[in-house]
Amino acid sequence: AQELVLKSADTHPDGYPTVEAVKYMGELLKQKTNGRIGIEVFHSRQLGEEKETIEQTQFGVIDLNRVNMAPFNGIVPETVAPSLPYIFRSKEHMRTVMDGPIGDDILKAFEAQQLIGLAFYDSGARSFYNSKKPIKTIDDLKGMKFRVIQSDLFVDMVNALGANATPMAYGEVYSGIQTGLIDGAENNWPSYESSKHYEVAKYYSLDEHSMSPEVLVMSKKSWDKLSPEDQQAVREAAKESVGKMRELWDAKEKESQKIVEEAGVEVTHPDKQPFIDAMKPVYEKFANTDVLKDLVKRIQETQ
Amino acid sequence: MQTAMRQSAAVLSRISTLALWAAGIGLVLMTAFTGWQVWARYVLNASPSWTEPLSVLLMNWFIFLGAAVGVREGYHLGFDVLLFLLPEKGKAVLRTISDMAVLFFGVGMVWYGFDLARGTWSAVMPSLRLPVGVDYLPILGGGVLIVLFTLERLARRFSGQEKLDVEMIDATA
Amino acid sequence: MALTVLFGTFVLLLLIGTPIAFCLGIASFATVLYLGIPPVVVFQRMNAGVSTFALMAIPFFIYAGDLMVRGGIAQRLVAFAGSLFGHLRGGLGQVNIAASTLFGGISGSAVADASAIGGLMIPQMKARGYGVDYAVNVTVTSAIIALMIPPSHNMIIYSISAGGMISIADLFTAGIIPGLLLAVVLMVAAWAVAKRRGYPLGQFPGWVAVAQLAVAAIPGLILIGIIFGGVRSGVFTATESSCIAILYAVLITITVYRSMSLSDFAEATMGAVRTTAMVLLIIGAAASFGWLLAFLRVPATMIAFMQSISSEPLVIFLLINVLLLFLGTFMDMSPLIIITTPIFLPVVQAYGMDPVHFGVLLVLNLGIGLCTPPVGAVLFVGCAVGKIRIWEAMRTIWPFYCGALAVLMLVTYIPALSLWLPKLFH
Ligand code: NA
Ligand code: NA
Repeated sequence: AQELVLKSADTHPDGYPTVEAVKYMGELLKQKTNGRIGIEVFHSRQLGEEKETIEQTQFGVIDLNRVNMAPFNGIVPETVAPSLPYIFRSKEHMRTVMDGPIGDDILKAFEAQQLIGLAFYDSGARSFYNSKKPIKTIDDLKGMKFRVIQSDLFVDMVNALGANATPMAYGEVYSGIQTGLIDGAENNWPSYESSKHYEVAKYYSLDEHSMSPEVLVMSKKSWDKLSPEDQQAVREAAKESVGKMRELWDAKEKESQKIVEEAGVEVTHPDKQPFIDAMKPVYEKFANTDVLKDLVKRIQETQ
Repeated sequence: MQTAMRQSAAVLSRISTLALWAAGIGLVLMTAFTGWQVWARYVLNASPSWTEPLSVLLMNWFIFLGAAVGVREGYHLGFDVLLFLLPEKGKAVLRTISDMAVLFFGVGMVWYGFDLARGTWSAVMPSLRLPVGVDYLPILGGGVLIVLFTLERLARRFSGQEKLDVEMIDATA
Repeated sequence: MALTVLFGTFVLLLLIGTPIAFCLGIASFATVLYLGIPPVVVFQRMNAGVSTFALMAIPFFIYAGDLMVRGGIAQRLVAFAGSLFGHLRGGLGQVNIAASTLFGGISGSAVADASAIGGLMIPQMKARGYGVDYAVNVTVTSAIIALMIPPSHNMIIYSISAGGMISIADLFTAGIIPGLLLAVVLMVAAWAVAKRRGYPLGQFPGWVAVAQLAVAAIPGLILIGIIFGGVRSGVFTATESSCIAILYAVLITITVYRSMSLSDFAEATMGAVRTTAMVLLIIGAAASFGWLLAFLRVPATMIAFMQSISSEPLVIFLLINVLLLFLGTFMDMSPLIIITTPIFLPVVQAYGMDPVHFGVLLVLNLGIGLCTPPVGAVLFVGCAVGKIRIWEAMRTIWPFYCGALAVLMLVTYIPALSLWLPKLFH
């Protein structure tokens, strides 16, 4: 019989790759522990926004949590490195880095905050979209108003590109673009599609400024209650779920891209180098400790 | 005994007024910040990222301060059908139980508000660059006032000055 | 057992007259203590429940309403509307509903609608001899219209919760006819109640008087234009527009009407603080309560139970409506949309319901839930503005509930009400 059900939070809806991956991890965990330990996923923000579920995990209210990297930037400084704009050259580069020793070092850094970092999940690449014009060069961004998430890093990045960062609640973005309050926003293919923002912002420019992955963490309080063997099983199951997640993610990304393109969205591929060059002050400001500088260097040197 | 009660009532009344004024100033500032946000976006063509989180933080303060004052002045909404049907003595018993429950919750606000603030103090809020723990100080502060004001209600009831409750409701109606 | 603790504590405290915010908070507190999970979560949720930017529209519109009442903008607007509609039976009730419909075109929040229109109309209705319960009932139920007429951020929340396969543009358009239908039905209800109670039937003052009152009301009418035009043209968001309303109200009152002293201003501010602190504390405490319901899997369990009852579409739709109405009495709107959409939508789609149609049904249904005790943010605002006890308002609200429920049934069983207009745009 099941003795322990780990409670896991996710802001995405049921069926979303991250939700399915954690469910799959639960299956694996059940096999590894002869059915003693399972996982129950509370999807669709049932337990709160990411900032709130992170605190719930730290305090041991819930056991597992799948969260974006951005809300951790103010909590675990090491997470700033993979969140930096244009730090990853490609999806493959990101996967190599996060699967390797650099990723492990970042996961270890969570422990100081009462959290156990278990695994990284893909989040695709975030790019700009807008309702005004196709973005072909960095100059096209000048003076445009883009909604960004509440993150200093994103605000500074957008301003450094010559555009105007406009913080706004996610729910107001659609009507904000429609009425012209903002010119656009930024996100990955699946969110661009599922938010329906492509209905009002028809220009998607693949600048791929952020490939920061998502992270699966466990509460240290819950972790300490497990035997070393069970801890090992949890770690393994989490790592093994990453492959499944990537499979689902790649399919989802393709599907979203297809829907959006069929709806008549114009996709541009701007030359990324000027964008990368403009990030110098951002790197100086945010990668401001020896630990972060070292991480950035190691990521850039990874082939 | 009577003078001690009257003196502490005067002090608490002053605290309550101060809390209400602080909350009012919070509301005015919140309005100013949000107005500034619109102005800055159009006239200065730069959106300040601090206005939104700071306004929300102020809103937290004025909600919990205002809520505590509400305990003292008795303007919180309740389902008081049963109270109307009971004789005076029954009412006093139920009100006492109710006040004890609110007291219990107020203690929880103080205790766990402190826990939350301490546990999140090392994390940094985006934009404001303040500790996340600051976000939980309104719960802590509101909790302290709720405990004080509930104790006052209980003390007043035991010393037979309950009528004051009714007078206060009339004063705010 | 945890549920018994949660609901038992809640009902018990409610019956002995504990304020609702504390009933919700204490019941949640007691339940987490019983479950042995860290109690910090109750207070964290309470804080998070009142920490969203969009929520600021509530104090802002309440404040703007207070200022407009004290500064004279409201009186002049209502005098003008009264000169037009006042000679109808229950004229101010009709004016209230019409105003809510107009206001709904600039705000997607029923709470903001109730606070703004309520703050404007309820004192006037009281002064003209209407029952406070009647004024509150009309205000509260007509506030649902704001959710149906675009803009409606709840429709956006729904689309996102549905995995994003539904066009928000379609959802917005789909809400218009049901929203107007609700306005008409509530006007009929308001008329019928007014007739039975013999509310005043004023005299038409003549067009000269109407024109004079119109001129006096121009600054107020401009405010509606500023809010409406500002949001529509993208100068500011709906939340920001509520703040602009305050600034404008202060400006006009000081420069044009010159009718407000500093102490009037301070009193309006304190009044707004009292009202909003009370309402928002309930919303915060309800966030803790709702968190526990989700944590204890209440919505999921209820749905499994419902699915075991019937496989007939008409019955399923009715059951879903009843279930949503029940959940809506205890929880607030957006968490309910987020929790129930991924579970209900596949069910209704399997029975052939269009997702756009379901979105309209969901928002209307949960909108009615905002007007029902024990957890009904709109009801609380209405009662707070009218300074009336909830059960006093509840005693006479039935004609309005019946009207809203009738519209809900029409919307449920006549898909064309929701789907005809969006199809016209394709
Ligand atoms: Na609306
Ligand atoms: Na309700």
